[in-house]
Amino acid sequence: MEQVLDLINNFLGLFFILLCLGLILFYFLSGRNRPKISLREIQAFRHLRREVDLAVEAGKRLNISLGRGSINELPGGAAFIGLTILDRSARAASNSDRPPMATSGDGVLTILSQDTLQYTYQSLTAEQRYNPTNARLTGLTPLAYAAGCIPIIQDEYVSANIFAGHLGTEIALLTEAGERSRSLTVAGTDSIHAQAVLFATSDEPLLGEELYAAGAYLGAGPAHLASLRMQDILRWVFVVAILLGAIFKLLENLF
Amino acid sequence: MKKILPTSNAIIAVISGTLVLLGYFFPGVFGSIQSVLIGWAIILAAFALLLGIFNLALVHWKKTKTAGSSKVYSIVLLISLFITIIVVSINGPTGSFSLWLFNTFQVPVEISLLAVLAIVLVYSAARLLTRKPKWYIVLFLVSVVVMLLGSVPLFLLGEVTPLILLRDWLAHVPAVAGARGLLLGVALGTVATGLRILLGVDRPYGG
Repeated sequence: MEQVLDLINNFLGLFFILLCLGLILFYFLSGRNRPKISLREIQAFRHLRREVDLAVEAGKRLNISLGRGSINELPGGAAFIGLTILDRSARAASNSDRPPMATSGDGVLTILSQDTLQYTYQSLTAEQRYNPTNARLTGLTPLAYAAGCIPIIQDEYVSANIFAGHLGTEIALLTEAGERSRSLTVAGTDSIHAQAVLFATSDEPLLGEELYAAGAYLGAGPAHLASLRMQDILRWVFVVAILLGAIFKLLENLF
Repeated sequence: MKKILPTSNAIIAVISGTLVLLGYFFPGVFGSIQSVLIGWAIILAAFALLLGIFNLALVHWKKTKTAGSSKVYSIVLLISLFITIIVVSINGPTGSFSLWLFNTFQVPVEISLLAVLAIVLVYSAARLLTRKPKWYIVLFLVSVVVMLLGSVPLFLLGEVTPLILLRDWLAHVPAVAGARGLLLGVALGTVATGLRILLGVDRPYGG
């Protein structure tokens, strides 16, 4: 019996993945020739774009903290979003005197952030701007990571901090450092506890799925827009399913 | 070569990712190859960690050559790193000297930071009051106060039953509902990110 249930679970999981894949492909293919899709206003991204421009003008740099999410595990999803933001920020600030800085708390993530920066500068034919020490490993435990990031926020002429990845409640130390150095903090994480902390400490918190919309809002390509539409549709499906479930449960209890 | 490498990287990444994903749904067919690929990934991650530590040492080595008082911290870091590597290499990761190093330096420093974190959270909550009051900020602060007051016996009053009931309701109904909503968003976002990488659209490995 258990084996049968496992098999059903596996097929349901596969069906869900294929449904997501189908929706992304559908919107990707149908959206290529469409004019720009209007997106809901998220203040954090608007401020981020403005701050990138200001950083370039003021000769300051951006600090992108990618967190400690190992790509072998679930938190890797948030870390990949951080890499997308790093790519877009490095492109936008490519003519700045001080290139963006990336910090991470995982060895693989450090290498990927170096690779992202290198590839971004290569694609802009600005290889000479790439410096491997601009993507740094700052610590391997949550608090060591935060302790390693704080001096960067305070001493490296940072005008805006973007925290995007798997970060726990230690993110409060980082947002506080950003506040003290009078730099903007835009922060999103996959940790629920850290999101509660961000609500109180960050200038611009990205809650829930907002972090995962970063690529679409920062112009990372039609695939990001397509996946955002997929997320929107499935979220509504989940909302309806949960509401129906609650109504049926209520009716069952009443009658 | 510059064009071939990104394409081959993408092909390897897409095939490996697909095989690992299929391993979860069809463990009988793809389980063994999934284990092999994850094993390789773990070995590569270990080497990446070494490179990351080398990067950390390089950054601080460069800092020691710059002027300014902050270079003292970099010197301390490099000396600590060197001593730790020597001790752990000789004594092993669970040897008594290695554990002494960890328990004497790492643990107290991290506990101190945790204490600082608690103060920062209280300070941040208080700073929220100085911002322009909005209904959701007021709601957040009221919920925090109710949760705190409902969690401890109050001076002269002891345990206040209505507060405890309100705290339990807040913790079990609106908080859980909100957290589940956020988790659903995070889960969908993670699936979307993973699929973009499997499709080869997002290539964080330099392509």
